[in-house]
Amino acid sequence: MLKYLKKYWYLGLLASLFMVCEVSIDLYQPRLMAEIVNNGILGLDRDGTPDVALIVSTGIRMLLIVLAGGCCGILSGVFTNLCAQNYGNDLRKDCFRRIMGFSYEQTDRFSTGSLVTRMTNDVTQVQNMVAQIIRGMVRCMMFFVGGSFALLRMDLSFGVIVACTIPLVLLDVGFVLWKTNPLFSLLQTRLDRVNAVVQENVAGARVVKAFVQEDTETERFESANGQLVDTQLRVLVLLSWLRPVMNIVLNLAVVAILYVGAGRVQAGAVAPGSVMAAITYISQILNGMMMLAMIFQTLTRGRASARRLREVLDTVPSIRDGDAPDGFSQAPGGSIRLRHVSFSYPGTGTEVLHDVDLDVAPGTTLGIIGATASGKTTLVNLIPRFYDVTDGAVEVDGVDVRSLGLRDLRSRVSVVLQKSELFSTTIRDNIALGRRDATDEELRAAAKAAQADEFISRQPEGYDTPVAERGMSLSGGQRQRVAISRALLRRGEILIFDDATSALDLRTEAALYEALKRDYPGLTKIIVAQRVASIKDADQIAVLDRGRIVGCGTHESLLQNCPVYRDIVSSQLREEVGA
Amino acid sequence: MSQTAKVTSSTIQQGVGRRGPGMGAPVQKAKNAGATFRRLLQYFRSELPLVGLLAAVVTVSVVCSVVAPGIQSKAVDRIVAGIFGDLTPILTAMLIFYLAQGVATLIQGYLSASLSQRVVRRMRSDLFRKIVSLPVSYIDNHSHGDIMSRMTNDAENISNVISQSLSSLFSGVLTLIGTLTVMLWYSVPLTLLCCTTIVLTVVFTRIITKYMRKYYVQRQKLLGKVNGTVEEMVTNTRTVTAYNQQSDAVETFTETSDALTRTGIIAEIIGNMMGPVMNMFSNFSFIIVAVFGAQFVLNGSISVGVISAFIIYSKQFSRPINELSQLYGQIQTAIAGAERIFSILDESSEDTSGQEPAQPVRGVIEFKHVDFSYVPGAKVISDFNLKIESGKKIALVGSTGSGKTTIINLLMRFYETDSGQITLDGVDIRDLSLRSLRDSIGIVLQDTVLFSDTAGANLAYANPSATREEMDAAARSSNCDGVIAALPQGYDTYLASAGANLSQGQRQLLAIGRAFLSYPHILILDEATSSVDTRTEKHIQDAMHTLMAGRTSLIIAHRISTIQDADQIIVMDHGSIVETGTHRELLARKGDYYRLYMTQFAGQQT
Repeated sequence: MLKYLKKYWYLGLLASLFMVCEVSIDLYQPRLMAEIVNNGILGLDRDGTPDVALIVSTGIRMLLIVLAGGCCGILSGVFTNLCAQNYGNDLRKDCFRRIMGFSYEQTDRFSTGSLVTRMTNDVTQVQNMVAQIIRGMVRCMMFFVGGSFALLRMDLSFGVIVACTIPLVLLDVGFVLWKTNPLFSLLQTRLDRVNAVVQENVAGARVVKAFVQEDTETERFESANGQLVDTQLRVLVLLSWLRPVMNIVLNLAVVAILYVGAGRVQAGAVAPGSVMAAITYISQILNGMMMLAMIFQTLTRGRASARRLREVLDTVPSIRDGDAPDGFSQAPGGSIRLRHVSFSYPGTGTEVLHDVDLDVAPGTTLGIIGATASGKTTLVNLIPRFYDVTDGAVEVDGVDVRSLGLRDLRSRVSVVLQKSELFSTTIRDNIALGRRDATDEELRAAAKAAQADEFISRQPEGYDTPVAERGMSLSGGQRQRVAISRALLRRGEILIFDDATSALDLRTEAALYEALKRDYPGLTKIIVAQRVASIKDADQIAVLDRGRIVGCGTHESLLQNCPVYRDIVSSQLREEVGA
Repeated sequence: MSQTAKVTSSTIQQGVGRRGPGMGAPVQKAKNAGATFRRLLQYFRSELPLVGLLAAVVTVSVVCSVVAPGIQSKAVDRIVAGIFGDLTPILTAMLIFYLAQGVATLIQGYLSASLSQRVVRRMRSDLFRKIVSLPVSYIDNHSHGDIMSRMTNDAENISNVISQSLSSLFSGVLTLIGTLTVMLWYSVPLTLLCCTTIVLTVVFTRIITKYMRKYYVQRQKLLGKVNGTVEEMVTNTRTVTAYNQQSDAVETFTETSDALTRTGIIAEIIGNMMGPVMNMFSNFSFIIVAVFGAQFVLNGSISVGVISAFIIYSKQFSRPINELSQLYGQIQTAIAGAERIFSILDESSEDTSGQEPAQPVRGVIEFKHVDFSYVPGAKVISDFNLKIESGKKIALVGSTGSGKTTIINLLMRFYETDSGQITLDGVDIRDLSLRSLRDSIGIVLQDTVLFSDTAGANLAYANPSATREEMDAAARSSNCDGVIAALPQGYDTYLASAGANLSQGQRQLLAIGRAFLSYPHILILDEATSSVDTRTEKHIQDAMHTLMAGRTSLIIAHRISTIQDADQIIVMDHGSIVETGTHRELLARKGDYYRLYMTQFAGQQT
């Protein structure tokens, strides 16, 4: 994390220098005050007559110095902020870049919510920590060191008092920090829980209402809320020990100094004025320590955040460019081969695909059908390398996908996902996602083929209609068609539909497939579907059952040779077979 | 002569107070601050004993902090004068006052912490109760992120302000009044001169908070945008990677992030100016006292002692003013937050009137001349008439956007009809209590919703008292027994992030099991098996036959195989019914249904 700070070391240094000036002036200014009081107002060297001329001249001097101090303070703030915020910005951008390189498994492991908090809250915390260190450390060290030095020079007995109070203060600070430290992460967990309950109730309002579970949900919330409040209260109560105890120690020290000082004055060892100065200095020392406590608090919070950010930064993307990123030896064709492919999701150990062999020739269509959780989605996810095979190999245009550059590979493969993901921009931008240079004609042609042109044109602003959060302004079928247009516009050599037409009504779906055949004849197509009709005309159909291919061939040959396929077909053609 | 000690304690305050404006709390302006503030006070009404106690403790600590320095200066005077005789009792008295002050501050911290947490707990609780009783239409039409941020950010802001600022506010005002009274008693002209600094402080604070607010609001907006970008890009990570959009995403993000940093720097710099400038003002007031005080002494209108007292008091005076001016911004933010919370609390809840049904539900549903539109003027359902007999299986088919899901929304009273009437067993559903209406209906929705809980708890969601046998039976009927068996700890497996690790089809099976286990009189399946393969679906349908014998079911599907054995099939188009009948009747009619059927079973025209 420190390497990010290197770039801005000079800003930090400037901030510290100005801070030194400000604090020096702060430390010097009481002397001018004393001068005004002693010689000006009380007129100690003029038999008690106030000296207005002296007050005015010293006053002006003091005003100028204070003004300079104020300017130094402001400038120190300017440089601190430049340093800390630019540091935070670099950190934030690097984290985001890193996240963009994560594989699905890595993103899922962190979870969206946690990544968002890391990018916002945690960066802010670390940024605050840096600012605190620059400003606070310098400030309190100067108070502490300067104060101690002056005090010890004055009289050694005062040093003894300081030596007695410091452990007390350290004990107080140490105890509170030791107790609160573990609570901060607990607090975060509790807050996450409250967030989760609210989020689920907002997103799942229909289900909660439909099953009349408002009371149970309220109970669930109350328990989460109660736990949060309890933890927060514990933190606050612990923290509330910090200041009063320090104040008591400070005032004890003042009393002790007066007591001891009185004795020393009586003995003639120190001047009365020194006692008063000693009070000032000891307050400065303890003040410095108090600030230190505050800094420690920010530091503990900041460190927890820094750790969370480091987790992100230290995560090496598990799916990276291959060794031969120069690309394909062949011109784009669109052939796909799976050789003895086995796969299990990272960290689970259970195989989802076993020894799958498949060969898809360029320009042909492969249909994939099978029961729920038979591995259909998993299989197609291996082709653009959303996951890497556990065993065996996947080849595109004759090259193992793991040896290719990711950009290269993925620009040849267009996927339409099971759950359409839309961005909150315009419909046009959503479709042109993979090809920002597409012309209007190309855009419309893709949308027409995807059967989306008609409903898009009916939108209030046509293609420029903005898409609402989570695509909620569109129906499920409309969302799917926008996602399909996006894939078609991109014109990769391989087109994968992962159950991408489930929300389309039958007529629209049929028209879509017809358009695909007519307008995109050269593409290699992989179609995962539930309905036999969607894949009936494919060049070959692979039937998946519990992660194995139990049949592969045309509709007709499968009807004859594959009992599972026959079963699927008859479940859909129940009455029709007899009719 | 004892001003040295006073200087110190004000530095302590500065060291701490400096965090004030720099804390990063966005200052937002409330629209109707007065009314909101009064309403916020209502929350303290039931905490009056605690508030009273807090006020008492604060008073003790303020009195101590005013008295103790006086004693201290007496001690200093003795030392300077060389009188050591009665020093010990003086020091003892001083010690007692300082200890009392320390203890009072401690109690004050404890009290304000529990006060703030009690108030915020109640506020969150009220808000949540409101959220669960809001009509679905409200939730559909508002950003979920925004509703969430009221629960967390706004409530948190209020909590912070109460716990941190309430006692400072108390003691600030008390100290101010006390000091001002003493100062006026000593010398009116000198007091008035001191007040010039107050004017300066107030004017400066006003100007600076205006700019601060502007930049803080802007920063908060940009922070929200950063939030949104990360959320969107991470949620849609599959699309971003599949379409090689990573570098574009980084570019967009960099732009926002840089803008945030620029605004943040300005905002914080302005915020950080407060401390040094206030320090300058307080020194200014010292000089005023010194110069004019000396003049007055020469005039003979006041004594020298008064000046030294004034020096202490003017310090004591400027501290609460600094604090109060910083509190001003924080309190404004809290009030703006409270306003956002109250605005949800003021939304009207779902209608809770209505009676329990007189007899057990039979399940006769009738739609009479129902009209409905989500947006005024754009009719989604027009003159919809349908009678569903008890115990029948009814299917709704039709193209996307034909209004099938809307019919369900109306029947569940997620939305209210514009005109016309829906009856259940002959009673208008608006005359039934929502609870009894919804209790009699089991529903599986298009978008499967699971909760971050165990698989068992998700299955038994609507029927938490279900026995293990009942759960097993429901799981078998809905074919989700396989899903549960495949989970590492079966029913007790915790579904992290609401079951994100289950496949789409598995989620649907679990949701169907949940509906089965609630033993509804009426079962609604809205595209509930779209991601389930047809063979599994067939098993489920067979199980439904037994389960729903004598009960009404309503099924929406695109797949003909899902609906062909329904007692009645309703073909919808543009919000009205175009055909009804059984599968065979409709096929024979060779109308819309026949054409749908042909596309599915004859395959695509080649």
